Amino acid sequence: MDHRPELWSETASHARLVALALLVAVPPAVALGVAAARRPRLAALALGAAGVIFTIPSLALYALLVAPLGLGTAPAVAALALYSVLPVLRNTVVGLTEVPADAIEAARGMGMTETQALWRVRLPLALPVVVGGVRVAAVTAVGVASVAALVAAGGLGDSIFAGLRTNDSTEVLAATFLIAALALAVDGSLALLERGLRRGP
Amino acid sequence: MIRYEEATKRYGGGPPAVDRLTLEVPAGQTCVLVGPSGGGKTTALKMVNRLVEPTSGRVLIDGRDVASTDPVTLRRGIGYVIQQVGLFPHLDVAANVATVPRLLGWDRRRIDARVDELLDLVGLEPATYRHRKPDELSGGQRQRVGVARALAADPPILLMDEPFGAVDPVTRARLQDEFLRLQRTLRRTVVLVTHDIDEALRLGDRLAVLATGGRLEQYGTPADVLARPATPFVADFVGAGRTLRRLDLLSARDALSPCAPGADAGGPVLPPTASLSDAMAALLTSDAPAVRVVEAGLPLGVVSLESIRAALRRDAAAATDEPSGDRVS
Repeated sequence: MDHRPELWSETASHARLVALALLVAVPPAVALGVAAARRPRLAALALGAAGVIFTIPSLALYALLVAPLGLGTAPAVAALALYSVLPVLRNTVVGLTEVPADAIEAARGMGMTETQALWRVRLPLALPVVVGGVRVAAVTAVGVASVAALVAAGGLGDSIFAGLRTNDSTEVLAATFLIAALALAVDGSLALLERGLRRGP
Repeated sequence: MIRYEEATKRYGGGPPAVDRLTLEVPAGQTCVLVGPSGGGKTTALKMVNRLVEPTSGRVLIDGRDVASTDPVTLRRGIGYVIQQVGLFPHLDVAANVATVPRLLGWDRRRIDARVDELLDLVGLEPATYRHRKPDELSGGQRQRVGVARALAADPPILLMDEPFGAVDPVTRARLQDEFLRLQRTLRRTVVLVTHDIDEALRLGDRLAVLATGGRLEQYGTPADVLARPATPFVADFVGAGRTLRRLDLLSARDALSPCAPGADAGGPVLPPTASLSDAMAALLTSDAPAVRVVEAGLPLGVVSLESIRAALRRDAAAATDEPSGDRVS
């Protein structure tokens, strides 16, 4: 396979897009989830908005973002980040809601402030579910990032579109295989992390 | 000392959950809030550490209105044990017990030493249990950790909401014994909630019987409540077995009558500390008219049906004379 060197660097830039998007999306999504966990109206609003974004086709979202952000990494990372908000936000809300009420009552009853109860009890207990959301977001982003080649952001999409243009099915297949492998690797490692957290440190 | 003054809690516009509760728990005593569900026991308990704020009236600790103390500071000075225990499942036993000391900013060495001391106190070998997770413990062990956690920062007051409710009867009896043993040495001011009258009679220096609607029906010593129920509700709640229960609270020493000369051949023998229910059982299962009470080989006297009757009468009269609840068992 004479395309091999390109494929490796495209895999790296593909992973980089996904990582950047998560880096941008996860902290605010978790923060929003924390805020929404005890405010049902905010939760409905935020989940509704994130849900609407999630339904926009990726091609359309990339195109919409090119106007303000130009071509390249920026619109790709922005689109992937927007898609990542929903699963992370939803799982943060669910994870925090599922924290056993007796643990929260004990925390309050022993004199933790709301902030201490959040950091010492509620977030640690919700963490495995939050990581589950990050996992869904990451796997989704690995797939959606394939289309990022259209806004000149690189990634394995480059090889797929090149292969389609030159009718090189080997190249298309090789890139597709690498995307699938990347998705499986991301999924597997985050699943391990999630399981480890469930068992506790 | 904890004092409720006309403390009332209403949720919404509904009937009160706690209705003008006034009572005083002297320092170092165990006050049991007992009654059927819907009696506002837990609500009343939570007024002490401000998890519930009274709609009207107030709660004082050592003469100071709890409403004037910052709730976080207040709670760090009050041990709190709940029925579901509420151990933090992501933390090991040591970290659970260390919760309040950590909040108070103790240094690590002091915390470690205190954790081991407390685990010893509640009968859990520190080396074995320190690093266990709550889900690796039995129900009884979890309750012990819950008690150790509540005692961690040595609070003068302990609030316990159905602390032995979630375990089997055998474990419950053992935990109750251990609680009595601990309380004899620690002498904390304890407010304990239970719906179980037997548990209340066993653990309480004083009982507050609460009826549905959060009304205080009677406040007094176990002997008081058994011998002189203040209202038909209390009599009904204490139940038909209350006379038999009173026998548990009296000892053979309370019902001694002099030995009839020459009548001491055979028959059952008991020490003076045996309860009158033991004496009664011995009478019922033997042909002897009386049980001989012997201490260190010396006969002190006998207990007969007549002397038991007389002891119950004396006890009922004494309960009337005493200002309610000055007795410490």
